[in-house]
Amino acid sequence: MRAFLAMAVAGFALSGVTGAQAYHRFWANCTADSPTFMTTMTRDAAQDYANAARYEGYQWGGGCWNYDDVDSYPNDPPQETGTHGEGGDCSGLTFKTWRESTDTWRDGRYYWRALRNVHGPYDAAAFRDGNGAPNHVVAKATAGVMDAFASGTHIGMIFVRSLYGGDQIVEAKCESCGTNIFYRTYRSDSAYGGVGRWGWTG
Amino acid sequence: MGLDRLMPYAAGIALAAAGCHAGGGPPARLLDGRPAAHFHPVGAGVIASGRVLDLDGRADGCLAAADEADVASDAPAIERIGVDSQSLTFANRDGSVVYACDGGIDPAGERSAPWCRTVLGELDAGRLLDPRLDVICRDRRGRPLAYAFVDPVAGARWVGVRQNGYVELYEVLAGLPVRVATTRGVDLERDRATLEVTQYDAEGRELVRGELEAAVAG
Repeated sequence: MRAFLAMAVAGFALSGVTGAQAYHRFWANCTADSPTFMTTMTRDAAQDYANAARYEGYQWGGGCWNYDDVDSYPNDPPQETGTHGEGGDCSGLTFKTWRESTDTWRDGRYYWRALRNVHGPYDAAAFRDGNGAPNHVVAKATAGVMDAFASGTHIGMIFVRSLYGGDQIVEAKCESCGTNIFYRTYRSDSAYGGVGRWGWTG
Repeated sequence: MGLDRLMPYAAGIALAAAGCHAGGGPPARLLDGRPAAHFHPVGAGVIASGRVLDLDGRADGCLAAADEADVASDAPAIERIGVDSQSLTFANRDGSVVYACDGGIDPAGERSAPWCRTVLGELDAGRLLDPRLDVICRDRRGRPLAYAFVDPVAGARWVGVRQNGYVELYEVLAGLPVRVATTRGVDLERDRATLEVTQYDAEGRELVRGELEAAVAG
């Protein structure tokens, strides 16, 4: 009985450690570095940046990931910023890919490293409404590569325009599906509007 | 935009120019210039005006076209006017989404007063999973203004938010989450805000107290 109790206590202690790691460890790797002001911003480079974030996971309110192609903390409870896992959420990924500033009145180009933990001031609805100096609403029919489709609750960027009615969308979708490129029909979905970033240089 | 929509800001600018409230104690007036009511059971408690109205065009210039069809024109809306903030809260037709029009100055200069932001949150059994933080707006003195939803606990009649030198009290109305605002504890670098929130019953007895750490998300 004494041995059983000792093992039970040890088991509870270990399970507690695991929980703490899952909720607090990844953001400890993240930085608060200043962004690098850039004079250029091409759609090719934006594709590369978002493509590199694939498989790195999803974190509600997040914006920090590495490049090991693994979500360090998948399947956290949804809509919990306190889980501090790896990855951006939909608007955080868009903000960093579009090289935006945390000041909504600045429309310059700011490069954020992957491990820089920043989400930006915009949620999906703000992007949809074209809030902020760098953002604007575009017609869905003319939305092109690395423009985006946004609803009140989600945003994804056009990675490749498809010939079959939909698009290949790069997006941070959810805890269980992570960040990846998916075939989506947002272009024909009335809940979604087109959004663009001013200032592409190529 | 009607002149009545501009009145709260015109009055607010006049008060600011007169140096009405510099953050040293409980303010005497609300954003629209009316005298601030005080709630004596809570020390330095200032009541933000709150009333339930028909939406009836009040969200014009705020609600996106994509959302207009989903919201009844006569939906009950909660209008709140605080010391530095103004908001409108309402739900869609099936009660699955709650909207907030947040008042203030849009630093990007794209939206005109009174509304600078539209926020929406999905409800799960009447409760939000996330406070839907908004840090885009600025108050009339140019300070960052953070808006967030608070879900009232059972029995709560007032939601108090610690401000600089006073507690701003928001009445729980129409069974909707309470849209509160503060200029205190806003971290624009991290797109976060920490609000000191206390909920009270009708007599001012404290029910729960804690920090609401909110982040822009989704």
